[in-house]
Amino acid sequence: MTARGPRPWHRTVTAVAVVAVAVGLSGCNSGATSPGGAIAAVGAENQYANVIAQIGGRYVHVTAIMSNPSVDPHTFEVSTSVAQEVAQARLIVQNGLGYDQFMTQLESASPSSSRRVIDVQHLLGLSDATRNPHLWYKPTTMPAVARAIERDLATIAPSHAAYFAAHLARFDSSLQTLTASIADFRARASGTAVATTEPVADYLLSALGLVNATPWRFQADVMNGIDPSPEDVAALTRLIRDHRVAALCYNAQVTSSVTQALRAVAQSSHVPIVAVYETMPQPGYDYQSWMLAEVHALTFALRAHRSTLVLR
Amino acid sequence: MTWLFEPGWWANGTVRTALLVGFIVAVTSAVVGTFTVMRGQSFAGHALTDVATAGGAGAFLAGVAPLVGFVGGGVLGAVAMDTIGVQRVKGRDIATGVVLGAAMGVAALFLFLSARTSSATGTTQLVLFGSIFTVSPSTLPDVAWMSAAVLVTLAVVARPLLLSSLSVELAAARGVRLRVVGVVFIVVLAVAVGMSAIVIGAILSTALLIGPPASALRVARRVGTSVALAAGLGVLATGIGVLFAYDSYYWFPSHRGLPVSFFVVAVIVAEYVVASVARRRTRSTLVAAIEPEGWT
Repeated sequence: MTARGPRPWHRTVTAVAVVAVAVGLSGCNSGATSPGGAIAAVGAENQYANVIAQIGGRYVHVTAIMSNPSVDPHTFEVSTSVAQEVAQARLIVQNGLGYDQFMTQLESASPSSSRRVIDVQHLLGLSDATRNPHLWYKPTTMPAVARAIERDLATIAPSHAAYFAAHLARFDSSLQTLTASIADFRARASGTAVATTEPVADYLLSALGLVNATPWRFQADVMNGIDPSPEDVAALTRLIRDHRVAALCYNAQVTSSVTQALRAVAQSSHVPIVAVYETMPQPGYDYQSWMLAEVHALTFALRAHRSTLVLR
Repeated sequence: MTWLFEPGWWANGTVRTALLVGFIVAVTSAVVGTFTVMRGQSFAGHALTDVATAGGAGAFLAGVAPLVGFVGGGVLGAVAMDTIGVQRVKGRDIATGVVLGAAMGVAALFLFLSARTSSATGTTQLVLFGSIFTVSPSTLPDVAWMSAAVLVTLAVVARPLLLSSLSVELAAARGVRLRVVGVVFIVVLAVAVGMSAIVIGAILSTALLIGPPASALRVARRVGTSVALAAGLGVLATGIGVLFAYDSYYWFPSHRGLPVSFFVVAVIVAEYVVASVARRRTRSTLVAAIEPEGWT
């Protein structure tokens, strides 16, 4: 429909918010001189940081920039501590598609020839016109990202190449449970219609064979932080009230009075609600278990008609 | 009429809430705004919108309803302005300016903090430019009783207020307690500003407060007529604003609607232009009375 394109101005970073949380090795010295000479790495979102930690193990010191599940990553601005993390990092993984525009700005502010940057959008060969930036929900994304991380880490520290390769193999095999669950879900529930408040999990939904009945305009408006039109709100309300959708995928991380009202409609109409997140909920999850939990929550919603309001 | 009222207009709950809240606020703003223009306090009214901005942003931070924040912030600002001497005409602009600057700084801080700590999206848009289509129906009773309180208060102080608005010396000679009247009015003004922030945003709420009364005062010959006319113009602007915003969904193939605030303000400006043209024909005595005061 709209040619408004991929670079929604919502991501023009509007408010400063940074909680940098060290994932992986604790000890938390900053940057290049991290404990034991570990490779300083940054994941713009904590799901990418988590995969870096899984591949790099004890040879990397990973920092996640966006990791607070009660903050909207779309309205995020950098602090000086983040700028410092980025300046000192040898390896960076960022999403691209304007989702973490500030990373590109920080990188150009502190140029380094030895730093390796994995931009997931470019890694997957996606054009700037790709309208849904939540790439990590696509089951094929993380395996490709993990391979790129392994390759870059081996270039940075060739003496540990075998270690990284072994961790990549372990990561890939750990994804088998998720792959099997998705295939199983698809076989049973393919073609079922669901609704969403934002395009957060849309890639996962289509991998599961689900049909998202929500108008794209509505999803994009909520994502961009502008008010959806009353027509679209009414259309979505009818979808839920008339039980033409089997579940409502509710962005629990980014809410507004409109999405809260839809959630209330779903509750009063006994349409199960499934909480989805922009970044990885903490603690206790890694990327694989987070995605698996989302698939299980959707299964639970479709089969038992029960809601999952919070991932724990 | 289908060309004017696009499909679903009459059955849409969002539209109904927006219209009800909008009309109540428009009438209240028109009444309060008439006195504001006559007293030459438009700038104070604008400063209060900035304080209301801070209140609205603070409401998101504290997790309370935006209306509470807008109105609460405005009333606090009114008290602050009174304390640092908004009553003395000479220091009025300075006191107002100081409060305005401080309020915007606090608003910037609150918007920053709420982006860092809360999951709410679209906060800046709602606070600054309004989101009448996202107002919850449960806000309606609050809007109604606040309006009633404002109108009753104004009715009680109407005579001394009017007298002190037209001539401070005359009012003082008649024994009007200027200070009390002034404080009561600025608090009432703060509540009205906070309420109109719900409709068109804090930054634009002056437009709804000052625009219709300014137009009405240009053509009406009596205060009563002017208040009624201002209320009508405000309701008209709000109604057309909501209608056009709803209809604009059908104007473009992309089905991207335009915001209510834009249409409301556009209609208010159009009304003012028309009123100014009409005024050339019938020179209003009211305008002659207030014009020497000058308004920003």
